[in-house]
Amino acid sequence: MSEIEHPIQSTAKLFKALALSLLIALTVFVTIVLPAEFGVDLTGVGSMLGLNALRAEDANPEVISRPGEGDLLFRQDEIEILVPANDGLEYKFFLYTHSNLNYEWNSTSSLYFDMHGEPDGDTTGYFESYGAATVDEMSGSVTVPFAGSHGWYWRNDSGEDISISLKTLGNYDIIGLN
Amino acid sequence: MKHISSRLLLLLAASVFPGIAFGHGVDEGTQQFLMDNDGIAIVPFMYIGAKHMVTGYDHLLFLLGVIFFLYRARDVLIYVSFFTLGHSITLLAGVYLDIKVNAYLIDAIIGLSIIYKGFDNLGGFKRLLGYQPNTKFAVLIFGLFHGFGLATKLQEFEFAREGLLQNLIAFNVGVEIGQFFALIFIVLALSFWRRYSSYLQFSVATNITLMSGGLLLTFYQLSSYVTS
Repeated sequence: MSEIEHPIQSTAKLFKALALSLLIALTVFVTIVLPAEFGVDLTGVGSMLGLNALRAEDANPEVISRPGEGDLLFRQDEIEILVPANDGLEYKFFLYTHSNLNYEWNSTSSLYFDMHGEPDGDTTGYFESYGAATVDEMSGSVTVPFAGSHGWYWRNDSGEDISISLKTLGNYDIIGLN
Repeated sequence: MKHISSRLLLLLAASVFPGIAFGHGVDEGTQQFLMDNDGIAIVPFMYIGAKHMVTGYDHLLFLLGVIFFLYRARDVLIYVSFFTLGHSITLLAGVYLDIKVNAYLIDAIIGLSIIYKGFDNLGGFKRLLGYQPNTKFAVLIFGLFHGFGLATKLQEFEFAREGLLQNLIAFNVGVEIGQFFALIFIVLALSFWRRYSSYLQFSVATNITLMSGGLLLTFYQLSSYVTS
């Protein structure tokens, strides 16, 4: 006998044990795991415990609109941006919700970029990333999900300055370097 | 109370262990390493393996169930070896031969293994089936599934084929080191608890908790599977 002496439980005890463990597991699952991991709150306990907040990434950020500013003119711009060695910077444009920013940029050598948008008036630091990679050219078009500042964070990890040539087209205002 | 030192050791263990045992899966640093790594990196892979086992609460819960009533060191070693054999086979084969299994389903089965052992500890099979299914065999078979669970976590990353075998073996060795390390804490805690009458009094409750844990894991993994 390699085990410590312990009783074989009666059938009744076994079924009670199974039932109890099932009850505990289901309760914890429905009240805690479903809200926290899947955003499904069947009992309301999830929101009561604030667990639904764990799924707040899915929630839309509060967007503050700028009334009475009028439509932004359709325009086309070209600019050279210098990203110094071992440095990073941001270059942004203001666009209204669902406006389109067409762009094309190339650089003297590969560098990391994160194209993203920040809602207008937001103070939480929230941003929506549209893409990130380490390349020396990129082009495309983004329809922005909210009004705010949209553009690029470029990071030069090399020991030499990198020059970026950026072309843009759309209805926007230039915010410029951040 | 026999030795003050063992109480202190247990207190230390109890405070350190939860800190280490956070999360499950592969963290960002490891992700980055696996993606960037080129060639043989024995010690890093050993460390990743060890960390994986120490934070692998589903594997540890099963082990807890397995050794719950074992009191001889020899028996602990024998049963753990069957588990090790099982998970090593599928870990090595799974990653090296690139066997694709669904991670959620495997993790759900690992949840089932925990339920199985908790139920077994209550004498459930002896009572309902009239016989005790060969425990060593069960541990080996479930070990195979645990190994696939370990493999799927590694397979999430396309990492270098160069030096894969050496790195994989290093990972496996690391898993065993981590398992050994975690087992020390578990065995210490059990030995400590067994000095008190509450151990047997609460053995049913403990195994109910084990079964709940296994059920919860199974529900969670199946839900993830269904929504993936």
